[in-house]
Amino acid sequence: MSIRPIILSLIIGCLALLSNAQSPFFKMHQIGETYRNAKIELIFEAQNSLLWIGTSEGLFSYDGLEFVPFLKSDSTSNHVRSVFQNEKGVLWVGYHDGTVWYLEKQQLNKWEPEEGTPSVPIMGFAEDHNGNFWLASYGEGIYYKSENHLYNINTDDGLLGDDIYVMKTDKLGRIWVGTDGGISICEIRNKEKIINNLTRDDGLPDEIVREILEDDDGDFWIGTYDKGVCFYDFEKEKFEYPLSNWDNGIVSKLEIFKDRELWIGTEGNGVWLLSLLDGTLQKLSNQNQLSGSKIHDLHKDIEGNIWVISNLHGICHANRQFEFIPITTGADFENIQSILADRENKVWVGTEKGLFTHELDELGNSFFTQHLKNQSLNVISLYEDNFENIWIGTFGDGVYIFNKRTLKIRRLTEKDGLSNGSILSMNGVNDKIWLATLGGVTELQLNGDPLENGSLSTRNLNQEDGLGTNFIYKVFVDSKARVWFATDGKGISVLENGSIKNFQKAAHYHEDEPGSEEVLLKAVYSITEDQQGHIWLSTAKEGIFEFDGKEFKHLTVKEGIRDLAITSLITDKKGNILIVHPTGLDILKPETRHLIYYDKAVGIEDIDPNLNAVCKDRNDNIWIGCKNGIIKYLPLNESLEIHPRTRLSNVSIFLEPIDFHSDTTFLYDQNNLVFDYLGLWYTDPSTVKYRYQLVGYDRDWIFSKDRKVTYSNLDPGTYSFNVASTENDAWLDEPIISYSFEVLPPLWQRWWFILLVLLSAGGIFYWYQKARDKRIQRVNLLEKEKAESNLAALKAQINPHFLFNSFNTLVTVIDEDPKTAVQYVEKMSDFYRTMLEYRDKDVIPLAEELALVKNYTYLLERRFGENFKVNLNMSVEQIYLAPLTLQILLENAVKHNIISKTKPLTVNIYMNGDDYLVIENNLQLKIRPEKSTQFGLQSLIKRYELLTGKKMKIEETEDTFRVEIPVVK
Amino acid sequence: MIRLIFIVFIFTISAAFYSKGKTYVCHKGQILFKSEASLEVIEAKSEKLQGIINIDDRSFALMIDINSFEGFSTPFYKRLFNENYMESTKYQQATFVGKIIEKRNLEKDGAYTLRAKGKLKIHGVEQERIIKSQVSVKDGTLNFESSFSVFLNDHDITLPKIVQQKISEEIQVNVKGQMRLK
Repeated sequence: MSIRPIILSLIIGCLALLSNAQSPFFKMHQIGETYRNAKIELIFEAQNSLLWIGTSEGLFSYDGLEFVPFLKSDSTSNHVRSVFQNEKGVLWVGYHDGTVWYLEKQQLNKWEPEEGTPSVPIMGFAEDHNGNFWLASYGEGIYYKSENHLYNINTDDGLLGDDIYVMKTDKLGRIWVGTDGGISICEIRNKEKIINNLTRDDGLPDEIVREILEDDDGDFWIGTYDKGVCFYDFEKEKFEYPLSNWDNGIVSKLEIFKDRELWIGTEGNGVWLLSLLDGTLQKLSNQNQLSGSKIHDLHKDIEGNIWVISNLHGICHANRQFEFIPITTGADFENIQSILADRENKVWVGTEKGLFTHELDELGNSFFTQHLKNQSLNVISLYEDNFENIWIGTFGDGVYIFNKRTLKIRRLTEKDGLSNGSILSMNGVNDKIWLATLGGVTELQLNGDPLENGSLSTRNLNQEDGLGTNFIYKVFVDSKARVWFATDGKGISVLENGSIKNFQKAAHYHEDEPGSEEVLLKAVYSITEDQQGHIWLSTAKEGIFEFDGKEFKHLTVKEGIRDLAITSLITDKKGNILIVHPTGLDILKPETRHLIYYDKAVGIEDIDPNLNAVCKDRNDNIWIGCKNGIIKYLPLNESLEIHPRTRLSNVSIFLEPIDFHSDTTFLYDQNNLVFDYLGLWYTDPSTVKYRYQLVGYDRDWIFSKDRKVTYSNLDPGTYSFNVASTENDAWLDEPIISYSFEVLPPLWQRWWFILLVLLSAGGIFYWYQKARDKRIQRVNLLEKEKAESNLAALKAQINPHFLFNSFNTLVTVIDEDPKTAVQYVEKMSDFYRTMLEYRDKDVIPLAEELALVKNYTYLLERRFGENFKVNLNMSVEQIYLAPLTLQILLENAVKHNIISKTKPLTVNIYMNGDDYLVIENNLQLKIRPEKSTQFGLQSLIKRYELLTGKKMKIEETEDTFRVEIPVVK
Repeated sequence: MIRLIFIVFIFTISAAFYSKGKTYVCHKGQILFKSEASLEVIEAKSEKLQGIINIDDRSFALMIDINSFEGFSTPFYKRLFNENYMESTKYQQATFVGKIIEKRNLEKDGAYTLRAKGKLKIHGVEQERIIKSQVSVKDGTLNFESSFSVFLNDHDITLPKIVQQKISEEIQVNVKGQMRLK
C-alpha cells in the first residue's frame, strides 16, 4: 500500500475553489473555571459507558454535560496518568507520583501493596490470562501482582527499557509493552518471567514504541516515534507497513474505525487519517486547529463519536458518521441540485451554475473544480452509464453525455426523441436508461458507447401508457429490476414486465392504531428500497410510506418523523433509511422503526437540501447535496448504540445516598426518596429527555428534562421506579430501567404484629379466666377443708376421753399439789381458748402453733408423766402452718399408741430442710385400737395440698410413724 | 563452617562491589520473625545479620545464619524450627541479593523509602521479591528498617495440617540494620 498521490485538476480551463476542509464537526468541552489550567491527559470509557477524564488536577467523570471531580483523600498530587477498569469492574487510576488508587463506593482508595508502589509515573494497567494485575511505570519497568506479591520486571530481567509508554494485553493473554528499545512481550508461566522482545531485527520500523492499539481481530497497530505506524499480524507473526514513508512526527495515539480508517494522533502535528479502504493518508483538516496540536488521547465511543484530547483544545468530540463540506463564500455557486459519485469515487456536483467535481488537496482541504464551463449548464440530474460517461440532465436543455477522459460531449434533446428537455432524474440498468422529465419518461436503449459511435433508441412513456402524470420527480430501479416513477399528484407508477401499474391511494395504517382510512399519495418525491425489498417513498405532504407489495404503511409525525418536507430517501449499507429534510437527517431502522435525529450537533445546520440530491459512493458513503454544502455520511462498521444509555445513578433517602443495588426495603418513616438518573447520549447530550413513573404512586408516565425526582411521604407499599430516556421523543423501544422497593408499614400495622397482639390478648384473657376459676375453686375447697379440720380438732378436744383423762389427772394433782392443779387448769383453759381463736384462720405462725402444742403437751405430760415425751428440736422459723396441725397429730399419736412405763411414747418434732416439718413417733399400736374415722389426718392432707400444692408425706414402718408437713412460707 | 561459608559468600558477592566503588557494610543488624496463628504466636530473633550495599550500581546483599535465631518460647519450637521446617543444617543461611529500584544518591543525608528488588533465598528456595524499606542516611551511616511477609509455601516449607493452627502460613519478618560507608 502506498499513499496515492492526489491528482490536482488536470482539465484545462477548470476553476479551483479552495474551500473549507472536509472534517467531522468537532465540539469542545470545558471542565470549568476551577480547573481551567488542568492539563487533560486522557479519556476512558467505562463498562457502563460513562466517560472518565484524567487531568493534571484530578480525575473527573463526564456524562456529556457535567464534570464531577474525584480527588484523592490525601494531599498528594492528583495528576492522573492512566485509568483502567478490570474485569470485575473496579476502576484503577495511576498517578504521576507513582501511587495507584481505585474507586470503591464512589470514592478513591489508595492501593497499598506490601512492596510499595512505584515512585515514577504509572503509565498503564492490564490484566493477563491468569488474572495477574499489571502496571507499567515510566522509569521502573513493569510490575505485576500475582497471588501474594508484587513483582517487578525491568531491564535487569531483559526488558527493552524501563520507561514504558504503553501496555496492552494481546489475544493470547500476554502483556505487550512499548519502550524506547522496542516491544517486550511478557508473561508469567509457572512463576517464571518470560520475556520476548521485538526490535528492529524483527521488523519493527523504529525502536521507540509509543502506542499499541488492538483492532477488532485482535491484531495490533503500533505507533512509533519516527516511523509512523505499522501493523502486527498475529497469524503471520509479522509486521506490515501500510505507510511507506512518514514524516509527520511522533505518533502518540491511535484509534480505529473498523475496516474504514485509522486515526493517528501525533505529538504536535495533529491527527492523520489512514484510510483502510484505499490506503490513502489524509490530514484531519485544520478546522479546529487540531493540526498543530499534541494529541494526548483518542477514543471512539459506542455511538460512533471520536473524542480527541489535545494540548491546544482540551477535550473535543465529533460524530464520525458525518462530515460537512461547506461551499465557501466566494465560490460562484450554491445550491447543489444533483450529486453523483462515479466509479472512481469522484464526486460530481450539479448546480445552477454548472458542473463541478469535489477534490481534496494534500492538507485535506476541499475544493471544487468546474467542468464544461463553456456550456452554461443548469444541472438538475446526473448519471453514469456503463461506459463511464457522465450523463448531465439539465433544466430545459436536454441531456449532455460527457467523458472526463476523452472530454467528448454529446447532447440529446427533444429532437433526438426525448419527451421533454427538463430531466429531473435519471437511472438505469445494463444498457437501459430511464429519464424522468417534465413530459413523461424516456426509455433509452444503448447499443455501444454513445460517445464512440454507439447508437441509441428511445421509447417514451406517458399518461396514456399508464403513468400517473407526465411530471416525474424520480426514477428508481429496484433490486428486482422494476422501475418506479415518482409522479407529481398521482402517486407512484411501476414499470414491470413492460406494463405500467399506478398506485395512488394508500391505507392510512398505523401499527398502534386499529382501523384504517385511505390517504391519497398525491405528489411523491423520492423512492428507495430497504434490505427486505420493501419500497419506501416520501411524499410532498403526507410523510413516508412503506410498500411491501401488498399494502402501504404510513409513517408520519406521530411515528417520530421530524419534518414532513422530505426531499430525499436513501438506504445505507446497513439497511437504515436516511430521511433528508431541511431540519436535518433522520435515520430510520426499518425493522424497529427506531429513529435517530442528527442536526447541528453533528454539523448539519441550515442545509436546505434539494430534491433527490443524494448518492452513494463505492465505499458506501452517502453524499447529500444541500444549499450550503455537502453532507457526507459514513456508515460505520461498528455496531453502534442507538439508544441513550439510561442509568439510575443514585437513590437517596432524606438526602442520604443508599446502596440501591442491595437496599430495597425501607421503614415506614424512610419514605422520602430522591432518584437521580441520567441518559448518556454523547452525540447530543442536551437533547436527552426522560420519562419516569413510580408504579404504585404515579398513574402514568411523567415526562421531564430533569435528571432528578423527589417523592416524599410515600405510604407503605411496594413501588417500582421506572425511567427511560430518549434523544428523539420516540419512546416505544427505549429500554426501561427499573428499581423496585418496598416501604414497610409501621410495626403496628403489619399483619403479623396485629395477629400476635390478638393472639396474646386472647391468651392472656384465657389464662386469666382459667386462673380465676381455679383460684375460686381452691378457696372454696380450702374453706371446706378448714371447716372440716376445725371440726375434727374440736371433736377431738371435746372428746370425753380427753376430758375424762384430764379431769382424772387434775384430781390426783389437786391433793398433792394444789398449785400445780391451778396451773393445770390454767393451761387447759389456755389451750381451749387458743384453739377457739385459731379455728377460723387459714394459717398461723409456727411459733403460735408451738405455744399451743406446749400447752397441750403439758396437759399430756401431767397425765402420762415420764412415759410421754415431746422433743421440740427446732428454732422458731418464719414459717406458717394450718392451725392445730401439730395438735391433731399429737392427739392421733396418743390415741393410737400404748403409753406405759415399759413402752414410753416419744414424739420428735423437727425441720427437714426448709420445706418440711417432721413429726415422728415410735409406733406401738394399741392391741385394741380406738375407733377412728381417720377424719383428722385426711382433712389435714387435703388442706396442705390446697395451701402449698404439695402432698403431706406419711410413712409408717414397723416401729415408727412419721408425717412430713409441707410448711407454708 | 558457617563462618567459612559466610566469608565465601561475602567474597563472591562483594568482589565486584569493591572493584567498582563505595559500599555500605552492615555492622549491626537484626531480624525478627513472628508467626501469628490462631492459637499461638511464635517469635524469634537473630542479631547476626550481615549485609552490604554498593552505592554505585545500587546492588546489595543481605545474609542471616538460620541457626542464630533465638528467643523461642520453648526449646521445642526452636528444634521444630531448625530441624523440621528450616532444615538449618542443610540450608544454613537465608539471603536476599539484588538491586535497589530507586535511583537515589545514598551518600546524601536524608530519609527515603526505597524498594529493593532481588532474590530472597530461604530454605534453599529462591523467590523474587520487592521489599520496601525505610532508609535514613546521616554522616556516612545508613539505617534501614523493613517489614515484610514470607509465605512458607513460597519456599517449599510444608506444614502438617495439624500444626497450622499453631504456625501461620504467613510469617511476619522485621529487619533492622545499621551500615557504614567504607
